[in-house]
This record gives sequence, structure tokens and C-alpha cells, in this order.
Amino acid sequence: MNVIQATLTGVLIGGLYALMAAGLSVTWGVLRIINLAHFGLILIGAYLTFQIATSWHLDPVLTLVITVPAMFIAGAAIQWLFDRLRLTEFNSLLVSFGLLIIIIQVTSNIWSADFRRMSAGTNPYATQSVAIGRLVFPVTTLLAFGLAALVVLAAHLVLRRTFAGRAMRAIAQDRAVAGAFGVDHRRLSVLLGGVVGATAALAGMVFSLSNALTPDTAYEWFGTVFAVVILGGIGEVVGTFAAGILVGVLSGVVSAVWSPAAAPFVLFSAIILALLLRPQGLFAVGGVR
Amino acid sequence: MSEPLLQVRDLDVRYGDAQALWDVAIEVHEGETVCVVGPNGAGKSTLVNAVAGIHPAHRGRISVGGVDVTRLRGHRVCGHGVAIVPEGRRIFPRMTVLDNLVLGAYRKGARREHRASLAGVYEIFPRLAERAGQLAGSLSGGEQQMVAVGRALMAQPRLLLLDEPSLGLAPVRVDEVYDAIVRINERGVSVVVVEQDVERALAIAGRAYLLGEGRVVLAGPADALRDSDDVRRSVLGL
Ligand SMILES: Nc1ncnc2c1ncn2[C@@H]1O[C@H](COP(=O)(O)OP(=O)(O)O)[C@@H](O)[C@H]1O
Ligand SMILES: [Mg+2]
Repeated sequence: MNVIQATLTGVLIGGLYALMAAGLSVTWGVLRIINLAHFGLILIGAYLTFQIATSWHLDPVLTLVITVPAMFIAGAAIQWLFDRLRLTEFNSLLVSFGLLIIIIQVTSNIWSADFRRMSAGTNPYATQSVAIGRLVFPVTTLLAFGLAALVVLAAHLVLRRTFAGRAMRAIAQDRAVAGAFGVDHRRLSVLLGGVVGATAALAGMVFSLSNALTPDTAYEWFGTVFAVVILGGIGEVVGTFAAGILVGVLSGVVSAVWSPAAAPFVLFSAIILALLLRPQGLFAVGGVR
Repeated sequence: MSEPLLQVRDLDVRYGDAQALWDVAIEVHEGETVCVVGPNGAGKSTLVNAVAGIHPAHRGRISVGGVDVTRLRGHRVCGHGVAIVPEGRRIFPRMTVLDNLVLGAYRKGARREHRASLAGVYEIFPRLAERAGQLAGSLSGGEQQMVAVGRALMAQPRLLLLDEPSLGLAPVRVDEVYDAIVRINERGVSVVVVEQDVERALAIAGRAYLLGEGRVVLAGPADALRDSDDVRRSVLGL
């Protein structure tokens, strides 16, 4: 029973990992930019949710009305900047890491390094759960999973079925030739940056529902989220979702039957093994790259 | 004669400090098939890539249908009716054949009519209809060349640039591709074909240019070039 509960909870938590990783993965696959500042945007999304919900007594989910457009603009602006700098894949790692440090510094100046958490009155979701038989699922994880599934499905359909989506995949494969057919790389990268920023708002909101916030949290996401990106296959949204679930389940089960301390060890061993067997990503099945 | 569809004048192109074209001038009139021949490294690909907006001009002027496109950002050039079949095909290997073709119709003017264009491409290359759902990278070389030509047609070009369309193909496949080029030209599309296979290209062209070391060495009717000593020496190795 313990293992079943841990597995299912892992599946749901994997949704949050996927939500955090999807934007990173697509930006990397399409634009060849490893945008570490994405973690900063998720952090800001989380703090904004906390702040707006707390000060205006708004339902934390409703804060999306403000945070999604705000983070769209922030994400688009960052991408615009990257584009002006003509970053290579490796340089993007350095520049965006610098940007992340700045973002973390600014958040700790505004919100301090102390833990911040929405009060129970502000955040009704934290204490609710759904019970099925003896299994219990916190509403926050259900929400994370639902949102992740929605985002991944929408991204998948856009990438496959629309002109803009095809253009993004074309840019990932041959930017110069895509340009010869009218694809404006600059415009699409800013658009993509905006959409990815909006997903950071979603991930930040979901994270703030069930966690206390501190600026350094952003660093703690690195390992897990990169694991999900690499396992899922760079630029593969559906793969990212599957990898998120796998990582969630693996961490959950190892924590339950062995010890939470062992989870990272098992997780990263599994990743190294997986990459030896399938270097293109465990779930790579014809994504953007 | 009326104003040419494509006019290139005084064109210099550089890759960083290395110059690849000097003072190149070519013209293509409405409905013509023009071929560009020359030895490896002469600058043929550089020329068509500059015309298609893939690589910027350093100096000179490129105009299409009387409009100066020299300083346009690369993605705007196709809006003036230029489409390219690049050297080595450069299809999008991890996209399906259908997605490759539809991407060809990305530019605003072609997007609305992409279904009609698709029917036209399938008429010329029926095999692409059978392969529509397959990843383009999984096709044979000849089929990939059809995808590259089909993708360019989807843009509804007035001027089609083909860079070594016979490269790496079996002779039967080359025949198919060249039949298609002739049919496309008969539908009113002007064609520039760059080739190593000089005999083949000269056979379908009205006029031809010989490039050598980044300059136009010779220009004239295709028949005249075929018989010229320069062409025989520099390209045919006779
Ligand atoms: N991307 C590039 N960077 C630097 N030099 C290049 C590049 N592409 C081509 N060149 C140089 O430009 C010249 C012309 O090349 P190219 O146009 O490819 O010739 P062709 O198509 O006639 O074989 C050659 O000297 C080649 O080495
Ligand atoms: Mg060439």
C-alpha cells in the first residue's frame, strides 16, 4: 500500500517537474539556448503568487490572471536580449546563470531570505486532499499534474499542427533554410520566450501552493529539472512529461521504501544508465530537434 | 526586353574576411531557365544563397521583380517570389514529408493557398503523397530531393533556385528531377539551376553563366557555352 501510494504521488509530483522542465527543454531544442534564468522566472512566479494572494486576499490560482501576462512579458524580454547578444549554446549557459543570480539577489532583497508561505486562510488548497479508498492525494499535486498535462498537450498540438509550431521545429533543424522560407527567427524566439515565461508563472504558482519559499529554492530545482529535460529528450514536450513522471515515481518510491536521502543517488544513477543506453533521451520520439 | 525578374549587379559576397564573389552580374528574365556552371568552389552556391537571402551581400545590388532586396533581412526575400532548393537538399529530417511541404508555404502570400499548392506538388511528385506521413530524413536521396523541390514550390515562387539538384542521385532519379524542373518551368516559373553535371543543366537551359574563382567568366546562350573551350576546360575537364 505504501508503495502504491508513493508511486501515485510520484506520478502527480512528476507533473510539477514536467511543468518546470518543459519550457527549458523547448528553448534548448528550438533556440539552442540553455536558459537557466527560467528557474528565476519560476521563482518570481512563486513569489508573485504569494505576494498577490496575501496582499489582495485573492485565490492563489486566480493570481495567474496577473502573473501569466507579466511573466510572458518577462520571458519575451529575456529572449529578446539573448537574441541581441547572439549567444551560442555554451555562452547562453553563462549569461543566463548570471541573470539567475541577479534574479535571486533581487528576490531576496524584496522578500528576504526567510521562508515565506501563504497562510492557510489565503491558500485553501494546501490543506485539501482527495481520498480514494485508502489512497490520499493532495489537491496541490492534482492541480500540478492537471496543469502540466494541459500545457504539454497544448504545446504538442501547437508544435505539430500550426504554422508557428512547424516553424519552430524547422528553426531547430535548419535555421538558415527556415529563414529562406520566411520564418522570422527573431520574432518567433521572442514569442517562444513569452510562452515559456507564462509556463514559469504556472509552475511557480503550483510550487507556492505546497511549499515555503526561499530564494535559494531555485538552485534546488536544478538537478531534478535537468534530469527531466535530458531524460525526456531535448525539445521533446511529450518526452518531458513522461520523464517528469518517471523521475517523480523513482524519487517517491525510493524515498518510501529506502530513504529520502537515497533518492538523488538512485535517480542520477538511473539517468546515467539511461543516457548510456539512449543518448538522445529516453523518450525522444521525433520532437523539435 | 522588359525588366528582368532577377537582376544581380556588382555583387561581392564575403565569409568573414574571405571573399567568395567579385563583381558578379547575372540576369534572369520571366519564364527563362538559366544555368550556372563552374568548378567546385567557384562560388555558385554562394551566389544562389545570396539571392535567396541565406547569406548577405557585401556590396552590389540584387533586385527581384524590380524591387531591391539586397538589404532585406533574409526571411523577407521569399516574399518577393524567390524559393530555393539548397545544395545537399537540407530538408527538415525530423519533420514529416507533409510538414516539410507545408512549411514551404509559410510566407504570408502562400499560406492561405497551401492546400491548392500541395495538390499541385503531389501532381508533380505522386510519390510524396504516399510518403506524406513519413519522417523526411527516412526517405531515399531521390525522394528527399523531391521534398526539397516540393517545399520550394509550396512557396509559390516566381523564381526557383536549384543548387545541384542531381548531387548524389542515381541517374534514373536525376531524370525524374530534371523532368520535374522542365514541367515547373513550363508552368511559368523562372528557373536558375546550378550544376556540376554541366551537360544535363545546359540541355534544359536557354542561357548559361560560367563562374570561376568567384567571377563570371563567360555568359551566353547555353549552346554556345557547351561548345566553348573555357567550359570544356574548367568544368568538363576536357
Ligand atoms: N560557410 C563558408 N565559410 C567560409 N568560406 C566558405 C563558406 N562557404 C563557401 N566558402 C568558400 O567560398 C568559396 C565559394 O564556395 P561555394 O559557393 O560553395 O562554391 P561552389 O558552390 O561553386 O562549389 C569557396 O572558396 C569556399 O571555400
Ligand atoms: Mg556548391
